[in-house]
Order: sequence, then C-alpha cells, then structure tokens
Amino acid sequence: MSETWMIAGAWVAAGLTICLFSFLYKDNPFFKIAEHLYLGAGMGWWFQVYLYNIWKPKVWEPLMAHDWMVLVPAVLGLSLVTQFVPKISWISRYGFTFLMGYGAGLAVPAGLSTDFINQIGGTIRPLSMMASMTSWAVFNSLLVAFGVICVLFYFFFSVEHKGHFKKVSNIGIYFLMIYFGAAFGNTVMARFSLLYGRFDDLYAFAASKYLYATQFILAGMIIYFAVHGFLNRGKKEAEAAQ
Amino acid sequence: MLKETLGKFFKIDRRWIFLLLAVVLFVPIIKPIGLPNKTISRDTRHAFDYMDKLPAGSFVLFSLDYDPATRPELHPQAVAMVRHAFQKNLRVGVVTYIAGSTGLIQQVFEKVPAQYNKVNGTDYVIFPYMANAVAVMTQMASDFYGIYDKDQDGRDARTLPVMRGIRNYKNMGLIVCITGTSMLDYWVAYVGDKFKVPVLGGVVAISQPGYGPYLQTGQLKGLVGGMKGAAEYESLIGQPGKGASGIDSLNLAHLLVLALILTSNLILLIIKYL
Repeated sequence: MSETWMIAGAWVAAGLTICLFSFLYKDNPFFKIAEHLYLGAGMGWWFQVYLYNIWKPKVWEPLMAHDWMVLVPAVLGLSLVTQFVPKISWISRYGFTFLMGYGAGLAVPAGLSTDFINQIGGTIRPLSMMASMTSWAVFNSLLVAFGVICVLFYFFFSVEHKGHFKKVSNIGIYFLMIYFGAAFGNTVMARFSLLYGRFDDLYAFAASKYLYATQFILAGMIIYFAVHGFLNRGKKEAEAAQ
Repeated sequence: MLKETLGKFFKIDRRWIFLLLAVVLFVPIIKPIGLPNKTISRDTRHAFDYMDKLPAGSFVLFSLDYDPATRPELHPQAVAMVRHAFQKNLRVGVVTYIAGSTGLIQQVFEKVPAQYNKVNGTDYVIFPYMANAVAVMTQMASDFYGIYDKDQDGRDARTLPVMRGIRNYKNMGLIVCITGTSMLDYWVAYVGDKFKVPVLGGVVAISQPGYGPYLQTGQLKGLVGGMKGAAEYESLIGQPGKGASGIDSLNLAHLLVLALILTSNLILLIIKYL
C-alpha cells in the first residue's frame, strides 16, 4: 500500500472514530455522517462478501465447470426470495423446510450431548471421586452441585414457590446473581479494552507520518462545538427570556 | 450544608466522568507506567501448557474468527498463540468463518512468521473464508480437502508440505478458536466432543464466564479471556505485546470505577445517616 493511501486511511479511521465519540458530548452532524456511512459501508461490504466469497466460488464457478448438482441447493436458496412475492411465496416453504430439517438434525444431537449430558456428567462425576480429591476440590464440587440444584429449583415453575421450595430457589437466585456480577465485571473490562484499542489507534494516527491526523481532527471538532455553542448562545438566552 | 454540598456529586454532568475515563485510559498509552501483571489465571496457564506439551511438527488448526469490533481483545491473543506455536515448531493451519477477519489474519501473518523464519506453505498455511461454519466443520471430519482444496493463494492444498499427513481431525494435534462470536461453542459441540479433538479457546472478556462449564468438564482444555488473558499469555511466552501494554490502562480504569463506586456509596451513607 502506498504511503498516500496509508495516510488517507489513517485520516478516515481517526476521523470516523472521533466523529462517533463526539456523541458522548452531544448529538451533532458529524456523528450522523459517521453513523450513516457505517451503515452504508457495512451493507456494501456484506454485498461483496456474498458475491465474491459465496455466490462466485460456490455457485457460479461450479456451474461453469458443468457441475449441475449445485443447482439443487442454489434453487432451494433462491426459493427463499419468493417470500417477497405474495402470490408465489408458498415456494419458499421448500427452502425453509430444508433449513429447518438440516439445522435441527445438526443442532439437537450436538446440543444434547455437549450442553446436557456432558454437563450433568461434569456435575456428578467429581462426587464419585472424592476419596482422591483435596478438601478444597471436594468443597468446590459440592458447591457446584448445590448451586446447580438450587438454580434448577428456581427455574422449576410447575410447583408454587413457597415454604422450603422458596428457600432453595432463593439460594438459586444468589448463585445467579454471583454469575451476573462476574459477567458484568468482565463486560466492564471488555468495554475498557475496546476503548483502549481505539485510543491506541488514535495515538498511532497522531504521529507525524500520518500528518497528525488525530490532533487536526480533534481540534476541528472542538472548534466546531465552540463556534456552534457561541452562535446558539443568543438563541438560548432569547428562549429563556420568553 | 455538608449534605447539600455532597448531594451535588450526584448531579455531576456525566460527561466529566467520560473525560476522566478518557484521560485515565489515554495517559498510559503516551507514558506507560509499567504496572505489573503478576497473576496468571488457571485457564490461561492450562491453554499455554497444552500447546507447550505438543510434540514439534504437530498440526495446530487456528480458527481466527474475530473482526475489527473485537480486535483490541482478540488480536493480541492470536498473535501470542501463533508466536507460541512457531516457537514450538508446530505446523499451523488457519481457517476463518468470519469474513471481517481476513484482513486481521493477514496482519498477523505479515509479521509473526518472519520473526521465526517460517515459510508460507511449508510451516503454515492460510485457507480462505468459508460461509456456514457448522457445515464446514462437520464435513472436514471426513475429508479436509473436500472443503479446502486450495489455500488462500490458490495453491493445491494437498501438495503443500505443511499439510503432509493431514486428512481430517484425527491427524491434528490441537484446535485453537479465537473468537468474539459463538464459534467456539460450535468447535466444542461439533468437533471437540464428537471427534475427540482437543480444543483451546480465546474469547472476549464478556463471554469468558460462560465457558466455565466446558472447562470444568474438560471439553475445553484451556481458555484465554480478554485483553488480560492476552497479557497473561504474552508473559508466559516471554514476549510482551499489545495485551501487556494495555494492562496499565485497564488497571487505572478499574481503579477509577472502584473509586467512583466507593465515593458515591460513602456520600450516600453520609447523606442518609448523618
């Protein structure tokens, strides 16, 4: 990539980042531009992905090589588009039927094995090996099993939650809250990491080899808000007087 | 009087907090403080140990499924784990099921292989993006080349030295999935569990707690979580990178959040009970 394109890329990246961050101060036209540009560019990106990475190698090229079998999935796929024409929308059922059958056939056995049977086994198995476990591991295993039972009680709605049943399900809520707390803490860390990533890029684009893109765009944005605030000050005072 | 003054704290314009957070995150980028990252989590250690114990020449399939939205967390993980694989002289294959990751994969392999004198086609290979991940994963179990007959550069995959002896999952030593999506769940359910292939994960911090059950049952051999996980893996391989450099900012930002929570709760208690 030539140096000019690198610099242009840096200015676009820094500009769009600062435009989007400017919403944290207040809504403004630069944010709107960046937002719409993102949507448009995203649509364009996905269109070319489908065209060049799926349609061309998976449909067009096999057809050009006289592999007619590819017509079967291609026609089933195209049948989904008939949803847009009410009179022939019934044709789409064939495509959907295939998708439903294929998806369920793949997902149900794998889901049962991975997320159901294996997890039950993982909860019970340590209880049968306690003799060879450390006291801390025994405590952990019992805590996990106890937590699973309490949370399952909480999600069992066919019996009214009162008396002992309510006490157990209430303990289940505490286990859930601990999980949500851990998940929220990790979410905060993840968001900070993403923000750090953008700041790290903005710092990189502030270098002289990118012609100080970050500084110029940031300064431009501050000047815009200052001028906009100054010009609207009179209007606000007039509105307040009325 | 004191209560009124303290009460103003709760009416503070939140944009001041945004600004404070921006300063706290930005300053360590300009001037690193060098706060230590001393704790290595058990799951990252397990991930490192599993890859470390693979015999040289084993084939590791990297599924790098992240896009620019999760790059700050996952890119350092990918760089660190690919570096580790090359350090151990493992053969590396790269696949992706997220179209947006192709450019990021290119970024990793433009720099890292050269540092270890690794050659494209001989020591590593990058395969093109494929749609419909589950179908691809399932079909690779019977014949890898039924899906990937050519690499990213259009070369016949069967003839590449790096692919010698590889026909399906049975010939692979390890699968590493680094993702901000549910792709790791697919690898565990459709490949790891079904074909008894060891799977390691690298995920964003948000998803990390959800993989606890898979780690407990051994369905996942190890997990690297978020930027902190990347920093841990970098320190384990002895090569600090973007993950480690972000720890300063993350630590300070967390301290700020803790300080704000403590301050606001203290003020609330004072207003209520004094």
